[in-house]
Amino acid sequence: MLSFTLRRLVSGVILLFVISSLAYLLLYLGAGNVGRRILGSQASEATVALKNQQLGVDEPLITRYLSWLAHAVTGDFGTSWFTSQPVDQTITSRLAVTISLVIGATILSGVIATVLGVWAARRRGWADRVVQVVSVLGFAIPGFLIAIFLVNVFALGLGWFKPTGYVQIATSFSGWLGSVTLPIVALSIGAIAAIVQQVRGSVIDALRQDWVRTLRSRGLSENRVVFKHVLRNAGGPALAVLAVQFVGLVGGAVIVEQIFAIPGLGQVSVTATSQGDVPVVMGLVVAIGAIVVIVNLLIDLIQGFLNPKARVS
Amino acid sequence: MFHWKRAAVIATAAALTLAGCSASPSGSGGEGDTLTLGVIQPPNSLSAQNAGWANQSPYTQAVYDSLIQADPDGKLVPHLATEWSYNDDNTVLTMTLRDDVEFTDGSKFTADVAAQNLIRFRDGTSPNASFLVNLADAKAVDDTHLEITLSQADPALTTYLSQNAGQMESAEAFDNADVETNPVGSGPYTLNVDETVAGTSYVYDKNPDYWLPEQQHYEKVIMNFFGDSTSLLNAIQGGQVSVSTTIDNTSLAQITAAGYTLSPVENNWWGLIIGDRDGTISPPIGDPKVRQALNYAFDRDAMLQAFAAGEGTTTTQIFPTSSTSYSDDLDSYYSYDPEKAKELLAEAGYPDGFALTMPSSAGFGASNFAIIQQQLADVGITVTYEDLQVNDYINALIAGTYPVALMALQTDPTDWQVAQFSIDKTANFNGFHTDDPTVQGYISQIQTGDEATAEEAGKALNEYIVEQGWFAPWFRPALNFVSNSTTAMETQVGNSYPYIWNIEPK
Repeated sequence: MLSFTLRRLVSGVILLFVISSLAYLLLYLGAGNVGRRILGSQASEATVALKNQQLGVDEPLITRYLSWLAHAVTGDFGTSWFTSQPVDQTITSRLAVTISLVIGATILSGVIATVLGVWAARRRGWADRVVQVVSVLGFAIPGFLIAIFLVNVFALGLGWFKPTGYVQIATSFSGWLGSVTLPIVALSIGAIAAIVQQVRGSVIDALRQDWVRTLRSRGLSENRVVFKHVLRNAGGPALAVLAVQFVGLVGGAVIVEQIFAIPGLGQVSVTATSQGDVPVVMGLVVAIGAIVVIVNLLIDLIQGFLNPKARVS
Repeated sequence: MFHWKRAAVIATAAALTLAGCSASPSGSGGEGDTLTLGVIQPPNSLSAQNAGWANQSPYTQAVYDSLIQADPDGKLVPHLATEWSYNDDNTVLTMTLRDDVEFTDGSKFTADVAAQNLIRFRDGTSPNASFLVNLADAKAVDDTHLEITLSQADPALTTYLSQNAGQMESAEAFDNADVETNPVGSGPYTLNVDETVAGTSYVYDKNPDYWLPEQQHYEKVIMNFFGDSTSLLNAIQGGQVSVSTTIDNTSLAQITAAGYTLSPVENNWWGLIIGDRDGTISPPIGDPKVRQALNYAFDRDAMLQAFAAGEGTTTTQIFPTSSTSYSDDLDSYYSYDPEKAKELLAEAGYPDGFALTMPSSAGFGASNFAIIQQQLADVGITVTYEDLQVNDYINALIAGTYPVALMALQTDPTDWQVAQFSIDKTANFNGFHTDDPTVQGYISQIQTGDEATAEEAGKALNEYIVEQGWFAPWFRPALNFVSNSTTAMETQVGNSYPYIWNIEPK
């Protein structure tokens, strides 16, 4: 298990290196006049040239990339071209916000998808059809439309929540909960749609197995059979889908944070990418890439815990 | 057995709990002690040396005092400088400064600190560093007297000193590692670094030792950046901002329905920059009759409706209404007359029109370029577009790459600024550096003449460039500031955002 974990971490580092190199090249190719982009139309040519010189953007690509890499391996991702804030501060100040949304959405979608999937698999008939229709709708409706709908109904219409903004959990737990509820729900809809189908299918397959009949014949209650034994067997594929959805939720957070004006990684991703703020974009590529690598590794380890057959010896 | 009823009760209780979770995120909508501003641009830098202005002005106004202040109508009044005067040829400005001002780090504001700030601004990377391009030197005569020496007269200098060029930062903070993100000024508020999320929300606390408490109206000021119109509109409708600028005019009805008051200002003009006045790239454009034809080709009412939802005023001049050079007549010097346009083209030797290459960019609205193309096609001018990213578009205009181009430009409060930005042979948006002796003559009189001479020259300059078709302005769009029912606000002539001390509780 330890060697497996180490191998995965090393391959994750190599993957991050490849992704960041490609990203840097793409950003370089699309850079244009960086100083003009930062300073706008008012600035004189002399000021723009001075800005470009200060940023080092007039140097060759390989020089700039090696300089960035040398600093990045020490955790120094430079300073935002547009806000002058150190990139590591930009990311760390927002990481917890996005993680709270994504973890919240993961948990919510996991729980609801499990409940709905088990219900559909056990009841079949109309319940199964309802869940499948709801699942298709969850796939079909874009996340941003769901977010706008939630804002208009529950925030602006009913006034149950504030439409924008984020409250730190340390400032007020109820305020934090109020500020993340709608975004988490908006993020979860699509993920529920994906996971519920997997749970439903896996539970149906498991319920057909001989060992389930054996457990029933031993007098175990149906709930105990399903929730203690069947789910554990069906959980593996569902967890794999959940891992994929986690990555998708990180991407979905971009839209949701923009609509709800939440100061997370998603919001700064939109701003930095549209502005061409290379230091911030590169920091985000590395940070989000690292999150994906770690999450996938954790899911693999959990899979091994749940299903001994899936463990790496 | 799954207890559905129990689950339903738990779910209902949870929903009611969450519904009570409406604590205000990132500030309230201005409830007496807190002002929440909606801003559409985050600050590039919070240092006085590199500070931006316009939509970025509130961020640094909160923490820095400037040498001079401007009234809402643009009139300059004393602030850190109590009086000032020029020498005979307007190349030396002497200022008397207050002796009772301290920065929040305890250091004293002196003439030497002021001089250092001015030189740093001139040599820095503020978008407006060129405001002080004529600053040859700044030095302290003594602690309360500052002498500014110019390489040539600059009629807008005192206006610049009421803006970011005149903002004063503590000299002891110049070398701070966080100088760009943690400002040290003498102003009405201080930045709360712990509660600030750079790029999203900037929180300021009242400076308890401020020397001008009459200009402090709140205990706390929160400035929230909104990058898109949806989240901004939601925040306004949700009562989460006291005052805000708007990104476009498409949601005004919803904003007023939410109880907000609209305060429109016209600080920009939209239209064509007809830059190739010598016919270098496009020989037809070198003929004034062709440029006049371009002006007759556009239905300005239709352009205003299409581009700005009808909010604004049609015009054929680029000087603002607040300028002494502005003329009501010049708002309608050219009517919509395609036949007249064709006649002028024929007189210029182009009875069948001509081909024209123009830049386009999604940043200006892709559909808008189709309208321009159609209106010019109606008079025989065939437009071919080359699509550019918006920043490359601006670079191309400044570099004189295209003979004619769509642009939206600011209207500055002084004639000198308008000339330096758009008209003078060295102006950014005179990309072909057209050197017209008549134009340069008028600009020289604005620069060095007495007040009456400068006013006459400004009027004459405006008429001349309209008659010569240097531009084809269509309209001045109305930018709407919105304020809630508990907040009073005065808009600022020549600026994209009201000045922070002109926003107060009702």
